[in-house]
Amino acid sequence: MFAAPGFPWLLRHELRVLWRSSILMRTHRHVILPVIIVGALFQTIGIVLGRQIAAHPIGQDEMLLAANINIVFLFALMFSRAISASIDVIYGRGDADFLLASPIPPGRVLAVRMLGVACSIAAPWVLLGGVLGNGLAVYGQFWGLCVYPMFFTEALLVAALAFALVVILLRFVSPQSTRRTGHTLALITGVGIFIIGQLPRFVPKAELGQFWFSLLPGPNGGGLAFIFARGLLGQPGALAASVAFALAGFCTVWFFLAKPFADGVITAAASRPRGRADAQNGKFRVSPFAASLAKDLRLLFRFPGIVTQIIYRSLTLVPVALILAGHFHMGGMGNGMAATVPLLVFLAGQLGLFFISVLAGCETIPELALTAPVPASTPQRAALAASAYATIFILAAPAIAVLARAPGLLPPLIIGTAGVLFCNLLLGQKMPIPLVRAQFGKTSTGTVLGLILGVSVSSVWSFIIWVAVAPHPLAWLISNHS
Amino acid sequence: MDGVNSRVMSETVPNVASSDVALSVRGLSKSFGRKVVENLDLTINPGEFYALLGPNGAGKTTSLRMIAGLIRPDAGTISVYGRDVLTDPLAAKSIMAWIPDEPLLYDKLSPLEYLEFIAGLWRVEPKLARERANELLETLGLWPHRHERCEGFSRGMKQKTVLAGALIHEPKFLLLDEPLTGLDAASSRLVKDLLLAETQKGAAIILTTHILEVAERLATRIGILSGGTLLAEGDLASLKTQAGLEHGSLEDVFLHLTHSDAHGRPTSPMRNTAA
Repeated sequence: MFAAPGFPWLLRHELRVLWRSSILMRTHRHVILPVIIVGALFQTIGIVLGRQIAAHPIGQDEMLLAANINIVFLFALMFSRAISASIDVIYGRGDADFLLASPIPPGRVLAVRMLGVACSIAAPWVLLGGVLGNGLAVYGQFWGLCVYPMFFTEALLVAALAFALVVILLRFVSPQSTRRTGHTLALITGVGIFIIGQLPRFVPKAELGQFWFSLLPGPNGGGLAFIFARGLLGQPGALAASVAFALAGFCTVWFFLAKPFADGVITAAASRPRGRADAQNGKFRVSPFAASLAKDLRLLFRFPGIVTQIIYRSLTLVPVALILAGHFHMGGMGNGMAATVPLLVFLAGQLGLFFISVLAGCETIPELALTAPVPASTPQRAALAASAYATIFILAAPAIAVLARAPGLLPPLIIGTAGVLFCNLLLGQKMPIPLVRAQFGKTSTGTVLGLILGVSVSSVWSFIIWVAVAPHPLAWLISNHS
Repeated sequence: MDGVNSRVMSETVPNVASSDVALSVRGLSKSFGRKVVENLDLTINPGEFYALLGPNGAGKTTSLRMIAGLIRPDAGTISVYGRDVLTDPLAAKSIMAWIPDEPLLYDKLSPLEYLEFIAGLWRVEPKLARERANELLETLGLWPHRHERCEGFSRGMKQKTVLAGALIHEPKFLLLDEPLTGLDAASSRLVKDLLLAETQKGAAIILTTHILEVAERLATRIGILSGGTLLAEGDLASLKTQAGLEHGSLEDVFLHLTHSDAHGRPTSPMRNTAA
């Protein structure tokens, strides 16, 4: 169908590899049913949301602003992964070397890989956004289906920008520093978005109203700043312009930066990063468990982007801090101290799931422990202990701050933390969340199902603890609606 | 040829498994849809350097993985210094070390940290482990890199780090699957000397390799495996004699034996003919 070794032929090959390593193809038969159930559940929620949006339409300007915030938020989330993926495309060894060593022009190989990065960073958001898009379409709002092309379009642009940044940074700093820079940039964007979300707590209502008003498109329609948002809301001209803009950006980066880079570097092996030195005092231990625990903690804290990921997940601590600082006011909740425990329990669940998933992904050589004279459960127990330790380490300070103000919350905090950690650590060990950097054509250790189930477990435990500690668990809801 | 093989086997394979024997494998079979290893018998004595040769897909790695306790055989027994690998795996593993063809390393650990982990798994006394780690890192030329993460290492350096890990607990029995792949000439010589020193200290080694020169120079006995079946076994001289290639090289013997097998000519296992 496609002549070898042309661009479409190579792209088809890469897409086939991606598909075969995707969750749908890798998922074990007995996991298919839960996947279908969770998918159907999400789609049901999407339909309910779609109905609400269709039944209560808001103004066009407000819709545009919401769509734009969505675009910017997604940009931050995609960017971090795109940076790591771009570095892996250049430095990842194996089939990249194989392709770059073939008579296919290196620029073409890199272009296909860039497209692959775009596909891999877009896929989870397209699946998630598609749920809402489908829900809207059910109620006749067919513009909702524009999430499909628009999220891919955005991913194309993000992949191009990430490649551009990586290629430029690599001229000055090491791959590790480049990766760190990318994570930091993504973190700043993400935290910035979060802070905007917290503005109602600090800025007086009138001034806040002015702020949001200033972000609205206004009488001139907002110009180019809202072009992607308009595309997302289904305006055909804006959709076409967004796609054209993203394609132009992609081709420009490829032609002026990526292609010359590929032609110059040739193979990943030629630019292998130098090993990094770590301070280590060589504490030999006689216990296999202690040795495994020490190894796991090292692997955990050396995981690329660990700080960024912890900060993202620890945003749950912001409302806790606000409650402790007395900035939290919600009807029927008093000083809000009761809300801190469910928040901390949720955070414990999310951190535990993340840490155990990192360790599951880092366990590249399980055979080693299997040839050692230790029970097969030792490495698993060490991984669980390391994840729990790291979680409790991060939770310690906020937990102490909360307990200093309300010592009576200690029992629910202990029960909730222990319960959520027990569930999520075991879940994460069997079904880690996808954390391995988006490597096109490479198998990731995690599954989206693990992520969905893990968040659900954290939410359920958080809710149980909320019901247990709150004097009137639904008072805030009733109060807000009254 | 069947007669030849039967004589070699009958001369070299004792029928008892005791703690005086480093490795005793009897009737080992494994199938993954097709037979990969079939009715394999092997005996290796302490201090012996045994090379297991065979073409790709002959069953060498599967055999080694079964001995290391990584794959459960369909049939047969495996005993290391009298310790049954199948019924008492921890006891057997405590005196074994396995080096696979692909270096088993955590990229984010330094060689010293890696050795620390291995020493912990094998419960080596900390003071002894530190001394042994320092000695191995020095010997293998890794001392200047002991604090660097392995992610930046060449394949050869990774291979040497893995070897250091295998030797830190002073195993009595070493299983080496292509251990010299990726090593330069100097490193290769260093590793060979190190392995020979281990055998002189009494350790037994079984090694698979495609570099026949390594087997020719190091091994006290050589086994040739093809299609999961041991075709011939013995020292180099006896293999040449048995193959009727007194003036040939090990390569000639190897090709002669495996070539005939590849073309479907009768190369039935020696034990069958012996029986």
